[in-house]
Amino acid sequence: MTSAFLHQAIPPRMGAASLLDVRNLTLDYRTAGGWLNVVNGVSFALEAGEAFGLVGESGCGKSTTAYALLGYRKPNSRLRTGSVYLAGEDLFALSVTELQRVRGSRVALVPQNPTTALSPGIRIGQQITETMRAHNIGTNDVARDARMLELLGRVWLPDPVRTAQKYPHQLSGGQQQRVVIALALACDPELIVLDEPTTGLDVTTQAQILALLSELRREQRMTMVYVTHNMGVVAAICDRVGVMYAGQLIEDAPADVLFRAPRHPYTRGLIDSVPGLQQPKRGRSIFMRGLLDRNALPNGCQFAPRCTFALESCFINPQRLEIIDDTHEVACERNSEIANLVAAQPPVEIVYTDAAGARTDAPLLTLENVSLGYGRGGLFANAQRLIVRDVTLEIRPGETYALVGESGSGKSTIARAIAGLNPLSGGAIQFGGVPLPSRVQGRSRETRRAIQLIFQNPDASLNPRQTVTQIIGRPLEMFFRLRGTELRERVASLLADVRLTPAYADRYPAQLSGGERQRVAIARALAAQPRLLLCDEILSALDASVQADILDLLRDLQARTGIAYLFISHDLAVVRALADRVGVLYRGVLCEAGQVEEVYTPPFHPYTEMLLSAVPEIGKTKLRTIVRSDASLSSSFNARGCPFADRCPRRISGVCETTPPPLRRVSETHALLCHIPLEELRNIVPDPIDTP
Amino acid sequence: MLRRLILTRVLTSLGTLLLVSMFIFGAVELLPGDVARQIVGREASEQQLQIIRQQLGLDRPVVDRYLSWLGGALRLDFGNGIISKRPVIGIIAPRLRNTLILALAAFILYVPISLVFSLLSAGFRGRHIDALLSGVTLVTLSIPEFVMGTILLIIFASSLRWLPALSLIEDARNVGEALRALLMPALTLAIAMSAYAIRMLRDNLIEVLDSEYVLMATLKGLPRRNVLLQHALPNALGPALNVTALNLVYLIGGVVIVERIFSYPGLGSLLVDSISLRDAPLISAAALLVSATYILANLAADVGVLLLNPRLRTST
Amino acid sequence: MTAVPVPVAPIRSRRSFLRRRLPTTFVLGSIILLFHIVVAITGPLWSPYTFNKVGTGKPFENASTAHLFGTDGLGRDVFSRVVYGAPTVLILATTSTAIGVVLGSFIGLLSGYLGGWFDEVLMRIFDALISIPFLILALLIISAAGATAAGSPSLLIGVVAFIYTPRIARMARAVALDLVTRDFITAARARGDSAWSIVIREMLPNTTGTLLVEFAVRAGYAPILIGSLGFLGFGIRPPNPEWGLMISENRSAITTAPITVFGPVLVLASLVIGLNLFSDGLARLLGRSAQFGAQ
Repeated sequence: MTSAFLHQAIPPRMGAASLLDVRNLTLDYRTAGGWLNVVNGVSFALEAGEAFGLVGESGCGKSTTAYALLGYRKPNSRLRTGSVYLAGEDLFALSVTELQRVRGSRVALVPQNPTTALSPGIRIGQQITETMRAHNIGTNDVARDARMLELLGRVWLPDPVRTAQKYPHQLSGGQQQRVVIALALACDPELIVLDEPTTGLDVTTQAQILALLSELRREQRMTMVYVTHNMGVVAAICDRVGVMYAGQLIEDAPADVLFRAPRHPYTRGLIDSVPGLQQPKRGRSIFMRGLLDRNALPNGCQFAPRCTFALESCFINPQRLEIIDDTHEVACERNSEIANLVAAQPPVEIVYTDAAGARTDAPLLTLENVSLGYGRGGLFANAQRLIVRDVTLEIRPGETYALVGESGSGKSTIARAIAGLNPLSGGAIQFGGVPLPSRVQGRSRETRRAIQLIFQNPDASLNPRQTVTQIIGRPLEMFFRLRGTELRERVASLLADVRLTPAYADRYPAQLSGGERQRVAIARALAAQPRLLLCDEILSALDASVQADILDLLRDLQARTGIAYLFISHDLAVVRALADRVGVLYRGVLCEAGQVEEVYTPPFHPYTEMLLSAVPEIGKTKLRTIVRSDASLSSSFNARGCPFADRCPRRISGVCETTPPPLRRVSETHALLCHIPLEELRNIVPDPIDTP
Repeated sequence: MLRRLILTRVLTSLGTLLLVSMFIFGAVELLPGDVARQIVGREASEQQLQIIRQQLGLDRPVVDRYLSWLGGALRLDFGNGIISKRPVIGIIAPRLRNTLILALAAFILYVPISLVFSLLSAGFRGRHIDALLSGVTLVTLSIPEFVMGTILLIIFASSLRWLPALSLIEDARNVGEALRALLMPALTLAIAMSAYAIRMLRDNLIEVLDSEYVLMATLKGLPRRNVLLQHALPNALGPALNVTALNLVYLIGGVVIVERIFSYPGLGSLLVDSISLRDAPLISAAALLVSATYILANLAADVGVLLLNPRLRTST
Repeated sequence: MTAVPVPVAPIRSRRSFLRRRLPTTFVLGSIILLFHIVVAITGPLWSPYTFNKVGTGKPFENASTAHLFGTDGLGRDVFSRVVYGAPTVLILATTSTAIGVVLGSFIGLLSGYLGGWFDEVLMRIFDALISIPFLILALLIISAAGATAAGSPSLLIGVVAFIYTPRIARMARAVALDLVTRDFITAARARGDSAWSIVIREMLPNTTGTLLVEFAVRAGYAPILIGSLGFLGFGIRPPNPEWGLMISENRSAITTAPITVFGPVLVLASLVIGLNLFSDGLARLLGRSAQFGAQ
């Protein structure tokens, strides 16, 4: 697998007319309450060979716009006005047969979820060749098969011949996504629309897909519209960026310009919200506040309710895209004023007392050689089937320990074990200096109170039939025997702690947004006044701006109450913004652990190195990734050697697969498991390896 | 993987059958009435009754009797009928055959009826045809089988005189007459089962039509015909079979009533008659066999669903 | 492919839920049911004869102004008998279904939540009971109950409840199994809530909608079940005016005085149609789909 240089500015083909011309696209959805506007007057144009990124948070209409580029709109929708011209043809004016001919051959879609997009009962190869046949590509079946195999090879799928015979469920997520990309390329379309194609994939897999896309762009001069909510990805792969908010396109600029000097307050706020890998903890954005409330959208600028710079006139006057200079358009009448205002102000520094050095208290939680398996522990533990192996870590009071890893690393299992929901197969856990019973039933009320768990998916973690008061009140009732007015008062104060007004007390989860629900979940956990909060990917399901808000909230709470966090995440940038110490997990083994600054700078464990290199970031125009191969579907777990051996680009053959790596101490607080000596790890600059 | 699943399913069915046999035996045990007295007559003396009881093994403990009954059942030897004094199996065998023929005929009618109407409903969803069909199926499933059968009898037997009022299939002299005897009872059962199935089939079809992969196929530019035939329909077969399995009870359980109405000489009417007559061996045998038929039919459908599941057919 | 996601609709308060237009099926069903209930309650006040008055006319007379549904074999007015039979059907159907639903859901929820061998054994037993086609099971139980009990309403209620309980338990268990995976149940477990508390506080409120619809659907089938048993002669003892029994009794006159059969048939069918429309409408109202099927 090659390391790839992503995003080199690719000049558009000379003398090209606009390949794609979207004019004033306005779409409504039919809901129980009438017509809801989803896309509002979106206009942009693309030259051949350009890569256009469409960014925005959930609900902004970017996916709907993307599908419109194929002439598709949902059955319960209407095209109020506007058109989509592909090389001069209005897609929404075409007949069904004409549209069928355009789709797949001139414009193709790479959907978000490849697992559901591929037909379960048809072989991979066949799904590709049938498209070719439908569009008369290739003279006969033999030619089509040959081309299909070539395509599979081009998307870096190992062993195309065998893969073509497989069914979708026999492939991994990353492999399925590559198949879908091959499918899109099958008929050599003029335009490819990608709808968040790396959602749900691991960071390393995502890096591979991005590298692949970048290479394809270079080789074929593909014209792309790339829809995503991830700014880093956009920075890595797109020439131009369009930012959407509440159905409108509010800024349109070349990528480097947008990230260097954004003009719309929302764009600035969004960029601010995204934590960076190498930046220390930072404060909240000065450009926006609050959450999108679809019931309270003014007639004027849709962003005004959240804009810190909004004036009366902003609420009244609808904003249209205005040209600032040749390539940059913004839909904000105050954009130059704001730029001047901000430049004049001194930067607001929010400093958090980094008490990392002053941690000499006895540890709050210790895991010693903890191993976890499926189901029952003890006698039934099988070394080959352990999810977590021999993990040792400790968390001190008031600090944030982050556990980082991809899917299958066992990080959630550890959290559940600490919460008492998963029995230990080996090792021991101590809490507050005392052994912690491995099951909830065996724990005292005090202990149960002191350790609280928050989950990833805010939709599933709140009982849909209970009000906010009932949800938050249950632990109050259970642990503190509060009732009646006392209870309600305490609930109100907890709501205030998570920055929600008392009006939320009688609402049901269905009436809350994702970010609000997550705050209620946090309030519920805080109600018990815990000493340790286990946060299991609690930010993953939230938009960037909401994430930033909640991160800020968590920091604030920790500073005030001295609560400790075990913060589990796959997002290295978020971890950088919040954690004091970090542990990196791979396949159940703790590969590296230390203070956050130590872990994020060399020397790295090779896996940490791979992870860090795979994260796309604003400002990282050259994303060099050394991701070697997919996390394989079912490789046998190497019980003896290093778990990372089969994917490690630096492995020492003969040694790493067979012998367990030794513990190497980098400093008093930083250690990692690797056969490679520290001096070597310190000095090596990550090198591209060109073997596939 | 697939083999293991099928095996598990088969074993589960056998286990269920075993439990069912216990229930049936238990229920028949509880039937009031002294078997011995039934055989010998009212005037019998206590001594005579005792002898009979010993002969029939009625004085052995329950578990013993159950096991020997079960053993006999496995060999298809259910003893002798109390009233008829002939081997039960001789009485039951032709009835079982007739009921199986009826069930098969009903199934053959069920398939096109349910498919056509559910396809229409799903294809024209939201439009008038869909609402009309929905209403018609609702009314149909609200009509008990004994009513439906009676209505068909009146229309076809009494008024139009196209079909015989009594479905005495055994008296049929050729295939044509046999079919005419079968038609109404089979149709009644098929209609009953279809009424329930159509709703579920429609929902399943709509789910497939709305699926992501069907949308993707459309967005790939495939002609509608290909999308439906190659992407949609094959994935609808498994759920359709599942729906059939769920509604089998109307087919097989319904024979009890339907055979009664049309005087069809099957196992269902035998069961009802033998209950009235308190003929224990006959009751238990008939009940067991009908239940076994039901369990086996379900098993066949479930195995079919497993086989149709692409993930299982091609497991790594 | 979140495929063209539906954006978050405007937040509604609970109250607007009632202001929404009621589904047509719900309205129709309720009207029919109301009609039946009114007839059942007030019937004896205005019906032309009592149900067992013999010889009000010649046997098997056809429809006339004096006898809307004709007379049966004993000269009794069929219309009056139908009217007098209404409360029986309603009470039998609703009571037996209610018992079945209550028992079935508690057992099913608990079993689904607890899992383990308790769940396994219980479900095996229930599966076996479900595998005996219900009419056969009913016949067996009724005959096993003996001559004295046979024909009593409580036996019928017991039989129908006995038939429904395992089926509803299986459905409730499926709901429980689905709920158990949700994080809010895990949160409750991590708090140390007892199994009982979790079932009652956390799970039950999430099942009321499904159970309500289930109750309506099963209650819709109950008259058919009871009618079928009556038809076979295993239902309520004569001279009680049970509809199924009536239909069976009058069958001999089906060519000469068809109304004596079709009268009760239409009334029975209308009750079931009403119940089914009501279930369908209720399901739509609660945002679910009504599964009509005896599995």
